[in-house]
Amino acid sequence: MIELTERTRRISPSRLHEILATNDARSLVDPFMGLPTHLNYLKRHGIAVHGGDLLEWFVRVGEGIVVNDQTILRDSEVAEIVEMLPGRIYPLDAFKAWEGVFFTEEQCMYLGVWLDNVRNLRSDGQTGLAILGLWRVFCYWLQKAQAPDAMPDVPPSELAWSYIRQTESWVTTNLRHNTVRASDVLTTISAQTADALFIAPPARNSFRTADARIWMWEAWWQGNPYFTIEHAYKDSLFGARSADEQSYARAIASVLSAAANYPLLILQTTDRRLAEFESLVRNARPSVEILAPYPNEVYIIAKK
Amino acid sequence: MTLFQDPDAVPRTAASRLADVLDAFGAVGDRAAGNPPGTARRKAAAAASIARAAGRPDDEARALYFAGLLHAVGAIDNAGLRRGNTLSPRLATMARWDFPADGARVCAGIAALPAEIADWVRWQAETWDGTGFPDQLRWQGIPECAQLLQLADLVARASEIDETLAIVGGLSGRTIGPEFANVFVRWFHMTGGEVEATTVPVDILKPELSQPAPVLDLLADRIDAHNNTHGRRLRIARVVDAVAERVGLAIAERDALGLATRTFGAGELGLAHAEDESFDPLARLGIAARAENATIAADLFAGNATFEHAAEVLRARAAWYDGTGQPALIHDAIPKGAQILAAAIAYDALESVHRTQIREDRTSPADRLDTAAGTQFDPAVARALLDVTKAHA
Repeated sequence: MIELTERTRRISPSRLHEILATNDARSLVDPFMGLPTHLNYLKRHGIAVHGGDLLEWFVRVGEGIVVNDQTILRDSEVAEIVEMLPGRIYPLDAFKAWEGVFFTEEQCMYLGVWLDNVRNLRSDGQTGLAILGLWRVFCYWLQKAQAPDAMPDVPPSELAWSYIRQTESWVTTNLRHNTVRASDVLTTISAQTADALFIAPPARNSFRTADARIWMWEAWWQGNPYFTIEHAYKDSLFGARSADEQSYARAIASVLSAAANYPLLILQTTDRRLAEFESLVRNARPSVEILAPYPNEVYIIAKK
Repeated sequence: MTLFQDPDAVPRTAASRLADVLDAFGAVGDRAAGNPPGTARRKAAAAASIARAAGRPDDEARALYFAGLLHAVGAIDNAGLRRGNTLSPRLATMARWDFPADGARVCAGIAALPAEIADWVRWQAETWDGTGFPDQLRWQGIPECAQLLQLADLVARASEIDETLAIVGGLSGRTIGPEFANVFVRWFHMTGGEVEATTVPVDILKPELSQPAPVLDLLADRIDAHNNTHGRRLRIARVVDAVAERVGLAIAERDALGLATRTFGAGELGLAHAEDESFDPLARLGIAARAENATIAADLFAGNATFEHAAEVLRARAAWYDGTGQPALIHDAIPKGAQILAAAIAYDALESVHRTQIREDRTSPADRLDTAAGTQFDPAVARALLDVTKAHA
């Protein structure tokens, strides 16, 4: 059974929005965006948002709930995702490597079917919505493997149906241009301009302890059950190159340096890591304040 | 007018008064959110009870009481619920997702509350699987007390508590974390699903920061904003205060009148139109609607010691001096405060219409009100009001 690690950091978009409103910021770039539900929140509240990440499935979800202003999945289209379609040949053993380790035979079969169906969707927006909905099914299964008696059995297609349908409610427009990109942090920072830069940098070597629910879903999207997150991060700024303390600090400093043109910088971290980030931010910006509502939710807010 | 002058024989502490004002805030929040009456109190008691069963520290359980009580305060003046909003149904739904965050801001502004309550309110509707609102937090990112508050919500809304057990089981792993489903089962078996009567944990409020009057004013302003009647209670309060002074209303009655002036609009929450948009304030046709709104507002404060007399004023404000209103009280049987409030509300409505509409009949609001003296209004109150408004003009 796989261990589901406790999250160490909480991203609260409503709080982030309060910080942006206080500082009169109406656009934001997040180069470490992760699952972009927080960008969806900010978009709904009129902020122009631009996100970037190295994991492709995050970017795809961003195309569904950040970039996409109007495309949804209708009932017939959801039906074409959640079940095997007659006449189509599916790679039913695509995820056989996970069978008996993480998932049942039936679940692995569905993972193969869903991947094939999602890859056949007509638009990026729909693809993103389907990936998000199915990811929640995936998380449910992993959670149920931990607590089999504490959670009800729900047929895979029924669970997938309800989660995909639910994604529709997040689709909206803010009449602004919103983007996501699959790119390294420095590329995202330099490719956009905005009132604020939000960074929630990964902990040093965090790719080695990443949540299975995150990297395994990238493996699913890549159609490769042997995919590891080291692979995605290997040549990146926060990959193996910044494994030691000094090179990690240099990597953060380079991000702060690249962010020099952003009027507002919001760095989110934890109480434990506040000291190391605060000194780096104070070196880069003259005006710095700390908002620390919780040990796992600390904001370093820096202005030019 | 200075509120809470403790004219009665048993003075109440500021913290105790604040607890009552928070209770009123919670009841009005329920009304704005469309919850059944009493939901906030049930949720408050259930939250404290479940927290104890979950082994949370006693301070936290007591703080959770107030988080439960204030769970829906963000619904008052929520953009998706506000009267006259022009949002499409879809956008209104999205706006309603913000009410926990709005509620958190209200709680954060009440200095006497423990600080953590604001974020429990903010995250009470987050779900384990990340599909909740407003923040779509997931898994352990949701504070435990916020998850307990969600369990309390299920208890508060349950028509049959036994069914809640099955509902929680069905939601485990999706809306509710599996661990918290287990907490609920434990609580259910310990208590039989009965929420014990809870003493309001007043001592958790910081006494030195307990100022009920500003919190009441905040509630009143939010009611006005929700009803799209901005500034109405301030205009009416100015008239009411001056008239109360002129007719020599006793301090206790003035206190009750002050509370009623700030909260009468709660009876209009959730209605498509303000009562005086539908009926002329002097028309008999509007009596039933006014009486219904008055009763709704009065019922919201049932069992609230601080609002006991204010509720009487609220309930009687649709009475007519000649006994033909609702309730059918006559002359001095109508609390003087209710007579003043009724006349002031009517005058404000007449003034608003006079300001904004071009009428063929240019009879002034004062003249129109004067015609209702002796029938709808106490002549002494009407005279005092006309004197006061003439002096203001």
